Amino acid sequence: MIAPRWMAGCLLLTALAAGTISDVPRRHAPLVIHGYHVLAADFHVHSFPLSWATLAPWDTVIDARWQGLDVIAITGHNHVWVAKIGRWFSRLMGGPTVLVGEEIVSPRYHLLALGIDRSIRWRQTAARAIDAVHRQGGIAIAAHPLAQFWPAYDAEAMGKLDGAEVLHPIAYSSGNLAAELREFYGRSRLTAIGDSDYHGLGPMGLCRTYVFTPDETEHGILDALRHRRTIVYDRGRTYGDPALIRLAAGSGALAHLAQAAPAPGFLSIYSRIAGVLGLIGAVVLGCDALAGRSRHRAE
Amino acid sequence: MANPAAAYRFLAQQSPAGGIRLGLRRPLFVAFLLGCAISLFTTRSLTLRLVGPATIYWSFVPLAEIIALAAVGWREPHALSFARRIDLFFTGHGPWLLWLIGLSAIWSFFLPAEAFSLTRVWLYGAAALAVAWSACIDFCFFRFVLGRSRAGAGRDLLLHRAISWSLIIAIFGAPAIWPEIAARFGR
Repeated sequence: MIAPRWMAGCLLLTALAAGTISDVPRRHAPLVIHGYHVLAADFHVHSFPLSWATLAPWDTVIDARWQGLDVIAITGHNHVWVAKIGRWFSRLMGGPTVLVGEEIVSPRYHLLALGIDRSIRWRQTAARAIDAVHRQGGIAIAAHPLAQFWPAYDAEAMGKLDGAEVLHPIAYSSGNLAAELREFYGRSRLTAIGDSDYHGLGPMGLCRTYVFTPDETEHGILDALRHRRTIVYDRGRTYGDPALIRLAAGSGALAHLAQAAPAPGFLSIYSRIAGVLGLIGAVVLGCDALAGRSRHRAE
Repeated sequence: MANPAAAYRFLAQQSPAGGIRLGLRRPLFVAFLLGCAISLFTTRSLTLRLVGPATIYWSFVPLAEIIALAAVGWREPHALSFARRIDLFFTGHGPWLLWLIGLSAIWSFFLPAEAFSLTRVWLYGAAALAVAWSACIDFCFFRFVLGRSRAGAGRDLLLHRAISWSLIIAIFGAPAIWPEIAARFGR
């Protein structure tokens, strides 16, 4: 039993070594189009603890940089204190801009509040929640507005809402759900947002928003969202300000930036195969080894 | 894992040496595996950048289970040391660990679009199997290692689950629980 256990251990160690060596940040040069700084953003990121997420705020910030994101909003479920830790850490390390946010999780709607300082009550209508976001100078974005949430967004709420997620990972799992997101976005003049709703599964920034801002400050980013200066790319479709879409198409640089991450190299592929096999081996042999060793001693 | 009653009957008779180390090795392995899984979910590879820190803060999961184990077994003195009880209890974590590796494999080998669909199946289907299998194993732990009656083992299993899962869920995602429950049951 010793040899297979050593083999599992060696697989894990080499997987760790290969994965660590191949784990390099996805960098991009600063992009300026027509005087606007174009920033890659993910405005719907959850962090451990209290939000069903796996990465602590400091790891979230570091991973955002690794995924080539310039801006993230950490949006805890009905709280903001984890986001504040993330913003503090990012400022300390010179990382991406972190907006303090909250995903207001209510039974009838989910609403992203970006650029706020205090938590907002979830026991109120969407329109009242949007008012509370605006009173703090924040931006209110409808989070994954599928048909089940539409009744909460009455005419009053729609008139106050700043933006909506037109692209979200659920769009990849079903054409109908993707159509529901597009239909909601088309109901009003809203800022186009693409977010990954990152909880730890898959890469952060899988769906992202390109923000056109005159400067890279938090205020500039929020102002850009307020004035709908965003573009979202979705497998052949593009959402956002038509004038900016034309500018970006003329430049060509943004389309290049928005391309999927480069294909994984040999080390990365080896790391995942050896890692999974090593873990299976460690679990199976670990469980049996104790029984086997004890049985051997008893004999 | 396949025959927990026989395994635990046998193991309860053994008394291997070792104190704190014996009690820590399997909980630390569970934390390490959680760290590896988180790295595979995020980067599709094992990288120290994520495995190291995630192992540390996700050790709250085995810690919650140890607290629950202490709460369940505090009533009477026992022939087995607490470290040995921890070690034997964590020996039965195979189903959950295999489930977690399965989820890691989905995110390692499939593109995100496919992985999201498969995850839904894995979360509901395979998790149900892991819940049932691990409940059976842990029932045998309480029955044959701690020497409980059938009813007592069932009661301890429920109490352990209530304490450990409440702690884990509270730390993992407490603030959204009430609104989500309200959404499912009539708003």
